[in-house]
Amino acid sequence: MLRSLRGLVCHPQKLDHRYALHTAAKDCLSSLVKQDVQTPAEGPRAVFYTSENDPANHAEHHEGRHYTIPLEEVKAVFPHGLPHRFQQQIKTFNEACLMVRKPALELFAYLKKSNFAHPAVRYVIYGEKGTGKTMTLCHVVHYCSRQGWLVLHIPDAHLWVKNCRELLQSSYNKDRLDQPLQASFWLKNFKTSNERFLKEIKTQRKYVWGKRDSTEEGRPLGEVVEQGLARVRNASDAVGVVLKEIKQQCHLGFFRLLVAVDGVNALWGRTTLKKEDKSPVSPEELTLVYNLRKMMRNDWLPLDLFQQLHVLLTLRIPELDTVFQRRSHKRGTEGHCWRGIVWTIGTSMGNSGTASGGAVVTTLSQTGSLFKPRSAYLPQELLGKEGFDVLDPFIPILVSNYSAAEFESCYQYYRHCRWLQHPRAHTEEGKEELRFLSGSNPRQLERLAGPL
Amino acid sequence: RLTPVRWSRYGPSYLEPDVSKELYQKPLEELSEEEKEKLKLRAVHPIKAAPPSVSTSVFSDPMISKFTNMMMKNGNKVLARSLMSQTLEAIKRKQLEKYHKAPEGEKETIECNPYVIFHQALKNCQPIIGLSSITRGGKTYQVPVPLNDSRKRFLAMKWLITECRENKHRRTLMPEKLSQELLQAFNNEGPIIKKKHVLHKMAEANRAYAHFRWW
Repeated sequence: MLRSLRGLVCHPQKLDHRYALHTAAKDCLSSLVKQDVQTPAEGPRAVFYTSENDPANHAEHHEGRHYTIPLEEVKAVFPHGLPHRFQQQIKTFNEACLMVRKPALELFAYLKKSNFAHPAVRYVIYGEKGTGKTMTLCHVVHYCSRQGWLVLHIPDAHLWVKNCRELLQSSYNKDRLDQPLQASFWLKNFKTSNERFLKEIKTQRKYVWGKRDSTEEGRPLGEVVEQGLARVRNASDAVGVVLKEIKQQCHLGFFRLLVAVDGVNALWGRTTLKKEDKSPVSPEELTLVYNLRKMMRNDWLPLDLFQQLHVLLTLRIPELDTVFQRRSHKRGTEGHCWRGIVWTIGTSMGNSGTASGGAVVTTLSQTGSLFKPRSAYLPQELLGKEGFDVLDPFIPILVSNYSAAEFESCYQYYRHCRWLQHPRAHTEEGKEELRFLSGSNPRQLERLAGPL
Repeated sequence: RLTPVRWSRYGPSYLEPDVSKELYQKPLEELSEEEKEKLKLRAVHPIKAAPPSVSTSVFSDPMISKFTNMMMKNGNKVLARSLMSQTLEAIKRKQLEKYHKAPEGEKETIECNPYVIFHQALKNCQPIIGLSSITRGGKTYQVPVPLNDSRKRFLAMKWLITECRENKHRRTLMPEKLSQELLQAFNNEGPIIKKKHVLHKMAEANRAYAHFRWW
């Protein structure tokens, strides 16, 4: 705005002073208006489309508009997160367009303002069937991966408690059962999405996998993942190790952690799996579920200060080496040196604490859930007493059906992509019929618009 | 064909229900003479009850409903309708993928509307002339015979459905196979078009017996 004013002042009008001011104001206004219209999108597409592709910059005026995610980023960030129908849409239209909606903007505001020195806040996205909970979660995952967080994305926790062909008895704990297929599948996708973190994070303990395999202390986490993929029998244990290491190291200040779980009510419900003697399996007896439940708890507290010191000394961070040298040089006596080191570590923790802590964002889902009625969508109904007590206190985020503006935007987007081919669908009556039949529910609208 | 007056419970004065809203939404001044006459007639005569398959939806198509009814087994209309909608969606997806990958010049030639493709494919599959078995002097002859529109439509739909039910791999689903067949028929290729040509050739070959027909 200031730029345009300066430009106008540099070229004074040769008219009467009042006229000059008037025309200057008019020019200023018209240029502003042009900027406003051009920055979101081209004129007619501005209803449903925005060219702002970074979720961090999405604001109130982007609400209801679709933004594109480049296809390479989709493959890198979402190897396994997107719903099946959305993947088909990406394949058909050759582009991935996501609508910016209020719940997602609310979550971004919370994440931007949260104090990461405090324990991680838990968010539960709930709502009726087909209102867009999974898509909101994917939007948040995209935002966090753009910000450089480590994203632990479990696409559907229900897949871990049903339809499991192979159940092995866990070697680590006799009572628990392993799921090699699901664990190795998840490890493969985790590897694709978080390559660089796997090289940076180092293990803090020695892990013995069998008679001949073991991972030493201080090796990159990528080796644990490789071990899990190579030896499928140890895949569930590898997953447990990965989760434990990430949870412990998240407060050291090298990365922020986002735990994104879709269908979190699966962790505290019942399973349809049976042991060899036909007795039912409860979720605690599955290694994957047991380890994931530990992640859901709020106890990512930083280690005791001296434990931190021990860890940092073993890791040998280069900046701290120079600090040691300088401190010992200045102070001389050991006592001072020790206090100095602890103080510098404290401040460096504070400084590098710009990238520590994290958040837990979860979604409830009735669609894949077991033994829950179709009409249940509230957290108390789906999580049950046990799950609610574990997750409590959490921030609930309601996702509802499309508002009038969002419906309009979705309809225009389908028309633009040539998804609505029926000639009658382009009329007002067709649109009203679609609105009535779908009840502004996103899933119903998509299913109805399919054959049209 | 004559209307089955003996079996229907409606008297002769009953009229068929008219489901389109356009005629009734026009104000009185815009109606032409014929339309005014029609409205007066309908005001006086009793109207039959509308069957559940007829809908006021702007998206309903009688040909699609007929095809869905023929695909239905054991009265499972829900399954038949979902298969039909999945077929239309599959056709649309295939055509849209082709559309997005095609260069600028060819984009207009690719037809993406599944309804247009369905209607055109059925039209291409309809035979012009049919065969009927007539027994003369103990021997049965295949005699070439003209067909009415409804018979042609029925034969096209019947061939399409039997082809998709029988000549497919055990694991392929009906919508996928149907969409494949419809796209092939739209381009005038595929097994159903071949069947139609075989029928035409047989009719041409049995031209000599055409005088056996008495209707």
